[in-house]
Amino acid sequence: MNMKKIRRSLFSRTTLRAIVSITVFLILWEAGSRSKEWAGFTMPWIGLVPPPTSVLSVWWDLLGDTGYWQSWYLSLMRVLSGFVAAMVIGIPLGLLMAVSRTFNSITFPSFEILRPIPPLAWVPVAIIFWPTEELSIAFVTFLGAFFTVVINVLGGARSIDMRFYQSAQAMGSSQWDIFRRIVLPATVPSIVVGSSVGMGITWNVVVAAEMISGGGGGGGSGGGLGFFIWNSYVGGSYEQIVIGMISIGIAGYACSELLRGIGGFFTPWLRTR
Amino acid sequence: MSAVLEKVRTQGNEARYGAIRIDDVVKIYDPEGAAVMAVDHCTLDIKAGEICMIVGPSGCGKTSLLNAIAGFHDITSGAIYMDGEMLCGPGKPKADPGADRIVVFQNGALFPWKTNLENVAFGPMMQGKLSKKEIIEKARSMMADAGLSGTEHNYPGEVSSGLRRRVEIVRALMNDPKVLLFDEPYRALDSLTRSVMHESLLDIYYKNKVTIFFITHDLEEAIFLGHKLVIMTTRPCRPKKVLEVDIPHPRDYSVLTSPRFRELLEETASVVHEEARKSFASGEKEG
Amino acid sequence: MEQVERLLKRTLPFQVVSPETLDGIAEISRHEVFKAGEVIYGAGQPAEEVYVLVSGRVAHRIDPDIKARVHEKELQVGDVFGWAAILEGEKVRLADVACIEAAEVLKIDGARLLELLRKDVNFGEAALKSFSQLISQQYYLPPSVSERVPTTLSKVGDTRTPASNEAEPQTASAWTLTMYRAGEWLRSPDPYLMMVGFALMLGFWYLTVEVLKLPRFEDLPGLTTVVKEWFAEDPVYGMSIYTAEYYQHIWVSIRRVAIAFLLATALGVPLGLFLGWSRSFREYVFPVFELLRPIPILAWVPLAIIMFSGSETPVIFLTFLASFFATALNTMLGVESIDESYTRAACCLGANRWQVFKEVIVPGSMPYVFTGLQISVGVAWFSLVAGEMVSGQYGLGYVINTSYTMVRYPTIIIGMVTLGIVGYTTSAMVRVAGNYMMQWRLREMALGGR
Repeated sequence: MNMKKIRRSLFSRTTLRAIVSITVFLILWEAGSRSKEWAGFTMPWIGLVPPPTSVLSVWWDLLGDTGYWQSWYLSLMRVLSGFVAAMVIGIPLGLLMAVSRTFNSITFPSFEILRPIPPLAWVPVAIIFWPTEELSIAFVTFLGAFFTVVINVLGGARSIDMRFYQSAQAMGSSQWDIFRRIVLPATVPSIVVGSSVGMGITWNVVVAAEMISGGGGGGGSGGGLGFFIWNSYVGGSYEQIVIGMISIGIAGYACSELLRGIGGFFTPWLRTR
Repeated sequence: MSAVLEKVRTQGNEARYGAIRIDDVVKIYDPEGAAVMAVDHCTLDIKAGEICMIVGPSGCGKTSLLNAIAGFHDITSGAIYMDGEMLCGPGKPKADPGADRIVVFQNGALFPWKTNLENVAFGPMMQGKLSKKEIIEKARSMMADAGLSGTEHNYPGEVSSGLRRRVEIVRALMNDPKVLLFDEPYRALDSLTRSVMHESLLDIYYKNKVTIFFITHDLEEAIFLGHKLVIMTTRPCRPKKVLEVDIPHPRDYSVLTSPRFRELLEETASVVHEEARKSFASGEKEG
Repeated sequence: MEQVERLLKRTLPFQVVSPETLDGIAEISRHEVFKAGEVIYGAGQPAEEVYVLVSGRVAHRIDPDIKARVHEKELQVGDVFGWAAILEGEKVRLADVACIEAAEVLKIDGARLLELLRKDVNFGEAALKSFSQLISQQYYLPPSVSERVPTTLSKVGDTRTPASNEAEPQTASAWTLTMYRAGEWLRSPDPYLMMVGFALMLGFWYLTVEVLKLPRFEDLPGLTTVVKEWFAEDPVYGMSIYTAEYYQHIWVSIRRVAIAFLLATALGVPLGLFLGWSRSFREYVFPVFELLRPIPILAWVPLAIIMFSGSETPVIFLTFLASFFATALNTMLGVESIDESYTRAACCLGANRWQVFKEVIVPGSMPYVFTGLQISVGVAWFSLVAGEMVSGQYGLGYVINTSYTMVRYPTIIIGMVTLGIVGYTTSAMVRVAGNYMMQWRLREMALGGR
């Protein structure tokens, strides 16, 4: 039964169309990139991008290169540290803001003033303040996810149905019980949403921060995937730029999927029958 | 001019249009995979201008039948006729949705982004049969007839849920339909509002004789409103008991306390209860 | 007596009051029983007592002359009704209340209840507030009624004229609501706590950087330095509100965001609509969309520089790309969010496929579209800054980056704050435009009390 289902979804019309769609996209890309060879002129924009076949062959050679994998490792560690810091600080802060009205009134307006400043605008200040470049990248990464996580936690806790509180109070629960058994679980879904949005921003920030700051110091293989892209651009290896982009895409996608899996584990009541 | 003529036609005591014949209809969802049978060899005759109440537990497959008449879903076999004309059947599994059969939905489907008046005027506007001025005039007078004056320029979100249902029925009647299809429209209303809605529905029905195909799981509602009562078996759905309600129309709320009403209720309650128990035991999800 | 107190504790207004007040209320409440069908009170009668339903079923029907979103309602055990007895102004019943089944109630004298609540310094105000909440949220009455709940501060026998039953004309209601909320906000502790928050934030900055000169902090530009620089007619580092350069950078950034945002909206909204509307179109196009989306926008920077010559187009392209994904995706979700019954209803009413698209799909997805546009403005600024920092000339991101390399630190902060202000303003503009275009939603939400 289950096998049948899997086979049916594998060969369904949707999958077939997806394959067609992506194949057509790749062929158009290839043809556009090689337009100079077969049509005699360079197509605007796409003609300047390396074709997928040469990207693949360069990638094949890179697979054995430790520097390339080092970049993966560095970027992943940065994303992870910034993200974890944002969760560890952001979730309690958001909950505190949701539970205490006074605390919320004091902090929320200041928070709202800082929020519209794009995280990358913090890069120079971070570099000035933190002793090492690594720490300043981590700080900016943290900022990227932090605001989203706090806003989502706060929103989640605020949207809890009043009746839950009332019935809990009627049943004689203490404040702590209400927090632990109602506020916390009810907020988990928005924490999951907030963290997956935050993860997306984190990757964006890490890549940009590596491009902006890694370009100055570090150098060589010490810069992560963002720097890998930037370095390839400076070095004129356009295939590697595309490889870097795809690598970041894969890494980011894998992180989001992992997060979704973890989120699903913590919210069993949201699974559908 | 034409609006007046239409009114005369529809106000005539006997409706001449809108007889529905459901002939041995079968509906199976996902025939290649799970193959869930929703409707099982269902045959039913509804006379023109009759209120036919379909009663059955939630999720028994009543809505599949309604969707087939309205033309939202295809049927697997059998046929449905309206006034002798085939809506769907062999060679044509899915009926064409049209303004002669209008559905009033479970949760209401007034467009929240249009005012009540724009909602009521929607059908004729889309069909483009009348001029804009005529449509607005007709919409206003029909809303006034239904006691909806003063809410024309409110959005549906601004008026009570009972009022919204009334606007939705008027929106349907604007198109001079032959059949109105109700899909548990009063399910979400509280019992007080619902009782008011029943009377206002009958009031509207007496003014515009149309055939009404009304799905519900509320037996009292069914006996109070209907000429004919069809109790369905739970999934797959098939008529289990068909009953003519012999309480004369026009009816009002005194009917609810009449001995005949109580008798009919007693006669049918056990049948419905039995089906509800079956449905509960099979663990069907509501909806 | 204890039983009465336990019951009161379960009602919305009385669950917050202090134990002494609760004792007092329990003392003045009288028990009364009504038979099925009996009328408890009728609209227009003088209102002296507040009621709490102890058992049974009671129907509550608000006078049709009063504008309420819902007029009829069945009360639950624990519901409080008859609150007209504590309203300011004319104390008259606004509803007919009758028993569906035999019912027991508690009757509490309104004037004495008010007295008790006013004595409760800590919680009386909260109880009264929940009365006004009750009136607007459970009985769906407009602010003209709920506002008549007195505060603990007002004197007994206030001579305010009663609000007329003919509530304000519809057009004025949004404005009245805003004013009411603004007044409410000023009366709450919120604005003062907000000031405390700002003072704490700025004080921390000032103290750590300029007074205490803590290690690491002392390298940062200080509060007074930044403010002085920002408002200096003759700035030390060359940029303040008096220099033309400042406005030129702002203008360049805004122009880039505007072009990118408008282009993204013009392309993204139609694409999203078609993606949501046509299943086969989605199945052919969406996979490519999903393939490109996980790549962070900023990873496109070098490729954008290669593809587009000059320094202006790559930055705009990046900004556009970010906005475009957000807009298209949200629009698609918006179309998917439309309840199937709306499209079915339109089909029933004789609309053809194109009419369904125009009359149902487009307006129905608007709420999501505008959410998407707000996100889109946000990410536009986000990627603009990155683009300007990496490549590009002029613009606020460029200011921030060059000020760093040229060691003009106060200018960095000026750039950041300006970015925040401009970014906030643009997203507020999108929100206002959304509210303007979706009157129906605004009114619905205003009535919902959110």
